[in-house]
Amino acid sequence: MTLRERGNRIARVGTVVTALALLGLAGVYVRAIVYTPVEAAQGAAQKIFYVHVPSAWAGLMAFVITGLLSILYLWLKDRRLDLAAAASAEVGVAFSAIILTTGPIWGKPIWGTWWTWDARLTSTLFLFLLFVGYIVLRGVLTDPGIRGRFSAVIGIMALFLVPFIHLTVYLFRTLHPAPIVLKPSRPSLPGDMLTTLMLSVGVFTVLYTGLLMLRYALGLLREAREEELADAS
Amino acid sequence: MPPENTGFMVAAYVIVAVIVVGYAVSLLLRIREQRRR
Repeated sequence: MTLRERGNRIARVGTVVTALALLGLAGVYVRAIVYTPVEAAQGAAQKIFYVHVPSAWAGLMAFVITGLLSILYLWLKDRRLDLAAAASAEVGVAFSAIILTTGPIWGKPIWGTWWTWDARLTSTLFLFLLFVGYIVLRGVLTDPGIRGRFSAVIGIMALFLVPFIHLTVYLFRTLHPAPIVLKPSRPSLPGDMLTTLMLSVGVFTVLYTGLLMLRYALGLLREAREEELADAS
Repeated sequence: MPPENTGFMVAAYVIVAVIVVGYAVSLLLRIREQRRR
């Protein structure tokens, strides 16, 4: 199978997976808005939780996968690993944009401010900007070997930032609440709310998978085009 | 009585949909452009 054929095939599957995930997201909206109770102290704004937390999950997972693929790329020198790492990074930036917009919209009615420079918010913004830089760097480096090596180093450095971001709420005094699900003890969330959250986490995971496949397919098709041009000249 | 702040929830949900659908469409358009070349 040629690179172009493989890219087209992955793009087809990715389109189906993404479409299913978008349908699932519509289902999450209906369940969260209509069938999940309104939290007494925070009101309807608390329902931002059902998109904010799953997007944080998907975004951080994307960056962890970028880091792991970067390690594998430096070890095995397989170009497909570099393409997959870059694909995961770009999808992670999209999910980070969701984290960094829904967070302030939730923060304003509950904290009374759109933004505060506390450890969790600042480190998340830093991670987002780091990967925007990663994408820009890949755009300016034309040599595939140098591009892969440089971006892999950034991907691996960012990998260490992810657990730090998770722990910021324990290590620093911060406005951001501590995790209520991903913690050593049982989740402190009523059943209905937990079900909606877990459903949304599942949908965002599928959405990440679909978008990753589409972005990876795009990388393969670009690579195929470059190879065709090199063969023709 | 919970506070009335539904507008913030609606704004957040709309932004999520715009980012996700917008990004998916941008990927599909970029793939289509690569296929045409």
